This record gives sequence, C-alpha cells and structure tokens, in this order.
Amino acid sequence: MLEIKDLHVVVEEDGTEILKGVNLKVNKGEIHAIMGPNGSGKSTLAKIAAGHPEYEVTKGDILYNGESILEMDPDERAHAGIFLAFQYPVEVPGVTNTTLLRESYNTIANSRGREELDPLEFDDYIKDKLELVQMNPDFLERSVNAGFSGGEKKRNEIFQMAVLQPKLSLLDETDSGLDIDALKIVANGINQLHGEDDAVVLITHYQRLLNYIEPDFVHVMIGGKIVKSGDKTLAYKLEEQGYDWLEAHAKVNGEAV
Amino acid sequence: MALPTQVEPSFLHRLAKHAPDSGNWTAIREQSLKELNASPFPHKKIEEWRFIDLKPFSKIEFTSLDDAGTLPATDIEKFFLPESDRSRLVFINGRYNEKFSSIGGLGNGVTVGNLNSFTDNSVVEKYLNKLVDYENDVFVPYNGLMFEDGAFIHLEKEAKAEAPIQILNIYTDSKKAFVATPRMLVVAEEDSDVTIIEDHIGLSGNEYLTIPVCEVKTKQRAHIHHVRIQRDSLNALHVSRPIAYVEKNSEYHSYTINLGAKLARNEPKVIQEDEEVDFTLDGLVLIDGEQIADTHSTFDHRFSHADSHQLHKVVVNGKAHSIFNGKIFVRRDAQKIDSFQENRNLLLSRDGLVNTKPQLEIFADDVLCSHGATIGQLDPEEVFYLQSRGMTEEKAKEVLTYAFALETIENMKVESVHKLLIEEVYRYTKANSVAKITA
Repeated sequence: MLEIKDLHVVVEEDGTEILKGVNLKVNKGEIHAIMGPNGSGKSTLAKIAAGHPEYEVTKGDILYNGESILEMDPDERAHAGIFLAFQYPVEVPGVTNTTLLRESYNTIANSRGREELDPLEFDDYIKDKLELVQMNPDFLERSVNAGFSGGEKKRNEIFQMAVLQPKLSLLDETDSGLDIDALKIVANGINQLHGEDDAVVLITHYQRLLNYIEPDFVHVMIGGKIVKSGDKTLAYKLEEQGYDWLEAHAKVNGEAV
Repeated sequence: MALPTQVEPSFLHRLAKHAPDSGNWTAIREQSLKELNASPFPHKKIEEWRFIDLKPFSKIEFTSLDDAGTLPATDIEKFFLPESDRSRLVFINGRYNEKFSSIGGLGNGVTVGNLNSFTDNSVVEKYLNKLVDYENDVFVPYNGLMFEDGAFIHLEKEAKAEAPIQILNIYTDSKKAFVATPRMLVVAEEDSDVTIIEDHIGLSGNEYLTIPVCEVKTKQRAHIHHVRIQRDSLNALHVSRPIAYVEKNSEYHSYTINLGAKLARNEPKVIQEDEEVDFTLDGLVLIDGEQIADTHSTFDHRFSHADSHQLHKVVVNGKAHSIFNGKIFVRRDAQKIDSFQENRNLLLSRDGLVNTKPQLEIFADDVLCSHGATIGQLDPEEVFYLQSRGMTEEKAKEVLTYAFALETIENMKVESVHKLLIEEVYRYTKANSVAKITA
C-alpha cells in the first residue's frame, strides 16, 4: 500500500536535511510503529507523506498503491485515502466540527464515487462515530479544536479518522498528552477502525501506546533514517534500554546522528 | 463668497454656491457656511489624514446634485428588509423618497419620518446639528450647508420599537458625479429601545461622494443597536460622521460593515455623558482591488464605570489599503473603565497595505484597557490542516477567510441582516477574491 524508497527530504525554507534515505514498506492490514528520539525525523516522515508544503523531497519516492504521490496536493492525497492525525491539531475558530467534517466527508466521498450525505443523513452517520471516541455531541457545534484541551484535540483527530475512513492512517504522536483513560479510548478507537483493508502507521515516543495497540512491525528512526526494524519485542527492548545502543550502531555505520 | 485667505478653496467650497437658498433650516445653513469657509480640505500634512491617499477626491469632477442628471432608482425593493416593511425610510441620493418609504408599524411612542416633517419639533430643535462635533472639518459643514432633509427617529420614554428601522440610502446612476449629504438624528429617551439598520447602496458603478452625518442621543437606560452597512459603488467616495452620546446606564452598540466605495473614511465617535454605560463600535472591512477603507474612531470615556468594546476586523486583497486609528480617551476622573480594543487584519495579497494605530490616552489610574493590533496572512499550517481533510487549497483559504470575518457579524440582532452579511462575506471570500489569492 505504502512504499517509501530512499527518501531524502529537506526543509524548503533553509535546506536543512531531515530525512536521509528512509525505506519503508507498509502492506494493507498492517500496523507499523515508528519510534525514535526527538528530532529523528518521525513527524517529518508523516507530514511529507500527507503532502506538507514546508518540506521538499530531494531524492527518492513515495509510492501509494504502486504510484508516486509526490506531485499530489494534500487534498488529493486525502481523497486517495491518506489521513494524517496531527501531533498538534490546528485550531480553526469560526468553522464548526460538523461543517469541516461534512465538507471533508462529502469531498472525499465524491472523489471516491460514493454517495454524498445531506446534513440529516450526515448527523446519523456521525453519531456512532462519536461514541467510538466517547465524545459529547455538543462538541460537534464547537469550532474545530478551538479551546479544546490537548486530550480533546487528539480524540478529535481519531474522531475525524473514524468519519473519513481512510485507507492509510498516519498517526503522529496521537498518544502524547493523553492521560491513561483517554489513551485507552483513543487506542480502542484505532483498534476498532483498523481492518484488513487499511493500514496504520503509529508514530510514538513511548512504548505505552503499544500496550493497547499491537503493531506488526516496529521501526526505529534515528538521524533521519530507519536504523532498526523488528516485531513488537523491539519496542520492549527500547523501553528497557533506550536508544543509546542504536545510536552507537548508527554512528558505526558512518552516519551523522 | 469671501473666503479666509488661509483656506484654499476645494471643490466642496466651490460647490457651496449651490446651497438651497430657501426653505427650512436656514440657521443650520448659515452656521455651516461659516464653518465650511473656515476649514481647509484635508491634505496629507494633517496628521489625521497622513496615511490616506486623497487623489480620488481630486480626480473626480463633482457637480451639484441638481446639475448631475441623476437617473431614477429602479428595482430597489430587493434591498427592503422584510422585518422593516412598515418601518423604512428611503433616501435617493440623500433626498427623501416618500413613495418607497413605509412608516407606521412601530407602536406607541416611536416617531419615524423625514426631518422636514418635524421642523417645529422641540426634540429636533434641541439636538439637530447640536450633537455633531468634529473639529476643523469640512465635511460636516458641507452636509449642513446642503441640508434639505434627513431621517428622524425619536423614542419617547419607555418606548420600544416593535420592528427594526431601516434607513435605506440609495445612490443612483447620473451623468455627472455628485455630492450627496444624508442626515440622521436619533434620540432615544429614558428606558427606550430601538434597532436601526442604516444601509448605503450604490446601484451600479457610479461616481459620487456621500457625506452621511448621523447624530445619536442615548438617554438614561435606553438601548440602541445600530448597524451601518456601506455597500457604495466601487467608484464612490464615502465620508461618514456618526456621533453618539451615551447617558447613565444606557447602551449604544454600533456595527459598521464596510464593503463598497473606492475610498471610505469613517469617523465614528462615542461620548460618555455619565457613569455606568456600555458601548460598542465593532467593524468589519472587506476590501479588494484599489479600495481604500479608513476608520478613525474615538471612544471618549469621561466618567467612571464604562464598558467599551471595539473589534475591528479587516480583510485586504488586491492592492487595497486599510487604515485604522482607534482613539481611546480616558479622562482623569473616569475610573473603573473596562475598555477593549482589537484590530485584526488579514492580508491576502502581496500588494495590499494596512496601517493600524491604536491610540490610547489614559489619564485615570484605575482602568482596564486592553488593546491589540495584528496584521497577518492565512496561517499555512491551518491551510494544510484543512487540505489534509480533503479541501482544495482554494476552498481551505476561502473557509479560513470566511471564519475570520464571521466573528464580527455574530451579534446582528436582525435575522435578515445577519443572513445578508453572511452572504456578503461569502461573496467576498468566494467570487471576489479567493481565485486571486497569492499567499
């Protein structure tokens, strides 16, 4: 479903290289976790896959269902089924959650040849999705993320994921800033949404999310590269030993960290 | 006509000879002529006019209204507010039009009509042209000199207007550019309540200068909700002078929506006359092309315990230019003032220009005055967020611009006005601008 090949990415404004040759393959039905210390390029990887304009690909490619998506705008990628849950969800005062979601849902439905929903049908449709992340219906009429707590913003991202039903979900530190109850709700939501036809990439600092969502693969990113991949036991090892042993390994291979 | 030597005669001074020489209001005209002759036309060396491009004034050759060859107003019913179908005054190029006006649906104690029908009214006599107070000004005296008629709204004690009052100013096409001088006097006695929708509409792309002067007196415990919509022709010049006095425990809330005109200069003033008052001067400016919109406002806190609020939001596209100068005076004995002022500017284009100047002069020591001015573009992170949810870049920018502007029109009490303004905002963000946004 997603294939990242030798991806090099710079910050467009100053040319700083963030990703230095990332390779990753994600098949449908899989859950991947990408872990790594701060500044290793994890979030950049998620953002560039979603088409963030701040970054530029200088080498390599991102294939989605076998085709390069580098020339696609973020909205076209969303239409194709790619979803990014933001690390810092943006506040949009004046635009209600319902307005945003109905607009998004219908645009995406339209591009995939599904029926658009009128406001009444849409209300019915999202009711179940609200329960999934245990959100109060009042919340629908509030401006997108405006005045939300950190936890509410993260739940709202998963709620959006539930409504939009993406094929590939990139969840950027969706667990950070959540207390244990909220973490369980979010994890449960993700587990329920995930199925055989879609894939999830979790970006996280901490192993604790992986207690609730079991990944098929765990990757460690350091210095803009994936330096180690394995199964979920790799996450336990990281929890015990930190990243030092891998950073040393990365240096042995002659890469700047 | 003898002019003092220091005053360079402008087109307004030259047009003075067309002043009506008979009829009512001679005293006002005589006084206005004196003031006009003593006041110079503004120029860039005057601080208050420093930022504004006055060229549009000199480029147009104005003539008197009678010589302009104005065409009749047609198809104006679409501008009638449904809520005001029996509380509407219509002025065509500043002149009262009885045919289109409709009054009588306002209940006891509410008087609405054209000033010429109230020449002997004691309220008119007491306040007309007495409230207006702009120093060294050429525009108010010109309005006074040309004064023939205007709108009069009077609420007796405890009277509540049952419907919003629409003051509809229509500007028609004409063979030559003209100057219109609309006038309003609003007096709300103790415990009264009224909503006024003042609308200025240019029927097409005609050139004219309109100088609306509005005097408002809000007596004790009276409430006034005053919406001013400026939808002048894009070739028009609009210089408005609305002034409101607020007495003890009264409320005056004004919302000015600036959409049209090539050049609009708005100078609202609110003057506190006693303690415990609450007033608002909110504004929304949506401009594009080469439009200029200039707001010079004054809040004069003269007594203790006032809540004042000013949210002035501006969206600039194309080569448009917005100027905001918000004066907040707090006099020495005016303690316990809670004054809020914010000017937020959204710049959609590279060539747009914004000047903003909050001007606080505070002489009391126990006051809370918050003020802020921001100039920004659409946040790329917000645009990306909406795009990642499937909206095109254009749609995302449209939604964000719309959301930015919407805040200022949330307080509209009259439903059709609220709807109308939402449509105007939508039209601006969609058809008028977004295609050209080059963020």
